[in-house]
Amino acid sequence: MIWTVVQINLRRLRHSRVELLLSFVVPLAFFSIFAVIFGGGIGGQDSPRIKVLTVDAAGTARSAAVLARLADAPGLQLFALPPPEHPDGKHPDGKHPDGERTDRERRARQQVRRGEVVVALLLEDGPEGPAARLLADASDPIAAQLVSAITAQAISVTARSTIPPTPPGKPAPPGKPTPPGTLVSVPGEAPAARRLPAEAGLSAPRISVEDVLRGDESKPAVSMYAAGIAVMFLLFGASGGGGALLEEQENGTLERLFATRLTMDQLLLGKWVYQLGLGVVQTTLMFLWGQWVFGIDLLGHWQGFTAMTLVTAGAAASFGLLLATLCRTRNQLNGLSVILVLSMSALGGSMVPRYLMGEGLQRAGLWTFNAWALDGYNKVFWRELPLAELWPQISVLVASGFVFLMAARALAVRWETG
Amino acid sequence: MDFALQTIDLRKAFGNQHVLRGASLQLAPGERLGLLGPNGAGKTTLIRCLTGRTRPDSGTILLGGRPLEHRDQRHSLGLVPQELAIYSDLTARENLQIFGRLYGLRGRHLRQRVQWALAWTGLSDRAGDPVGRFSGGMQRRINLACGVLHAPEVILLDEPTVGVDPQSRARIFAMLDELGATGTSIILTTHQLDEAETRCDRIVIFDHGRVVAEGTLDELIRRTLGTARHVRLRVHGTVAAAPRYWRRGGRADELEAQLEDVSRRLPQLLDSVERAGHRIADLAVAAPSLNQVFLQLTGNNLRDA
Repeated sequence: MIWTVVQINLRRLRHSRVELLLSFVVPLAFFSIFAVIFGGGIGGQDSPRIKVLTVDAAGTARSAAVLARLADAPGLQLFALPPPEHPDGKHPDGKHPDGERTDRERRARQQVRRGEVVVALLLEDGPEGPAARLLADASDPIAAQLVSAITAQAISVTARSTIPPTPPGKPAPPGKPTPPGTLVSVPGEAPAARRLPAEAGLSAPRISVEDVLRGDESKPAVSMYAAGIAVMFLLFGASGGGGALLEEQENGTLERLFATRLTMDQLLLGKWVYQLGLGVVQTTLMFLWGQWVFGIDLLGHWQGFTAMTLVTAGAAASFGLLLATLCRTRNQLNGLSVILVLSMSALGGSMVPRYLMGEGLQRAGLWTFNAWALDGYNKVFWRELPLAELWPQISVLVASGFVFLMAARALAVRWETG
Repeated sequence: MDFALQTIDLRKAFGNQHVLRGASLQLAPGERLGLLGPNGAGKTTLIRCLTGRTRPDSGTILLGGRPLEHRDQRHSLGLVPQELAIYSDLTARENLQIFGRLYGLRGRHLRQRVQWALAWTGLSDRAGDPVGRFSGGMQRRINLACGVLHAPEVILLDEPTVGVDPQSRARIFAMLDELGATGTSIILTTHQLDEAETRCDRIVIFDHGRVVAEGTLDELIRRTLGTARHVRLRVHGTVAAAPRYWRRGGRADELEAQLEDVSRRLPQLLDSVERAGHRIADLAVAAPSLNQVFLQLTGNNLRDA
């Protein structure tokens, strides 16, 4: 009897392609995705290079040498700041806001805030050679530490190769009170810099790190995870909503609905509007919970949140309808949606931050709208950018939502004609 | 005469498969028409043409004497599908409200029709319960009510009593009688031939995409089998050779005969059996049935393909 029950299940498995796919192919696919992210992605051929904006405020031969050395570092991708907007290099209104001494620093800070680079490296002229200030985006905490360490090494090595060693017995010059091995006490310095020994009469490089986005204070990192989870569940919810359409088709309700005054356009739009509303409420609830329990500042960012949630929920609703119209049975839809939603969530950054992925995977992630949605929420809650800065994300999500909905309408013709 | 519904020479092909080959039928106002046919005869396609879900390649559909061209005209039609095409997780009242709205009912009129439907189905006291908790017969009644809520002139009923007990079936036909009394015309598609025989004013037998016979039950019998009664007789022991007027039946102790005038000829036939030395054990006289007419017209072959 037990064997008969086993046989029943084996035979049913053999006849169900979707179940076979979910049981044996999907786990391999996900294993491969995460293996690429965590295996090949970090430290591999396709390892993510940290985008660093360099500003040579010192303008000396030694600072140029440091930058040349940094350019050779395999883990960094250097960008030079374009020429200043004003010839004198001053801030446009002539004032120097707190912490921003030049217009170049302001622009560098802006690029970090926008997420165009992870770290801006300002090389300034100090009494003992170039000193580095790192303007960092703390959403990628590893990057700031790595850049700090590489920069410290570059400055030290450059100093050793350009300054003749201090003759034996000669006292250290004024301002270099630190004997070899002493920690340099500079507020805000990266740990790697603090531990660098002063060698051959040279003090440890002075490197300070500033978190441009002040993530620890008012913007807990949990806002990024809330967005990731919210988008993933929007997709699952939308595919479930699309499944209701297939259920209606399977039990004959669709046939009856079309015998009334209802048209296919009205049916699809009705389902889309419902799913959009449900998604907005679902996401709002998640962020309200985040505000109450985890300190996400939802009310302070309500405009950006509203814009991103509307377009993301709309695109997800269209995606769910497209999946439903692509499938013939609810069973097919369940299989396909699990595969697609999990793949999109893995690639798009809902499960693992995209900055941990290799450049190839990061580019591939842009084909998922998780990535665009998360970038948008990131701009709202983490980078605190104004609404106008969301236009790329909003445009992509609106366009993809429209295309998905039109494709679903085209595929739904088969239900109209029988 | 203006028929409530009339189809004239409807034709429809899907690729090389001709599903409707000149389907023509008429439904009089207030009439209940039984539409019979084996599987694959084209009944579903005919119904889909009537509801506008399939466009015929050629032919005409007249509703109340006017060509059925615009979607709004179909408001005079009500469809009750064979499947329980209702939302089982919604209550009876919610289902009725939703389908009422989809048929264009609003406000007080909608509320009145919902109240009417709940009373009509005998489910007023269960109006707030999810339909999924109802018995099969109760679900069938709600399924029916959702299709007639907007008081259509013509109702298309597809197997309305499939899978229900005799009591529920009687209740459903009582409900249909109420509708018929108000002048509603009904096309009843069914495989339950006894329903068509006893519950329909007229019968249409549909096969190979066209009407192969139509009329009242008596008319169909007269045209296909004649009016002769079928006599079946069993004797004690076995029958070696059939007596005069008789032929051997399906069993060794059985005899069969066809009689036009039973009251006059039956004594004569029984006498011939006794004179042949048989003792009569049982006797049955049966009028020709719709079942026989149906098999005569559509054949005995299975239509599973």
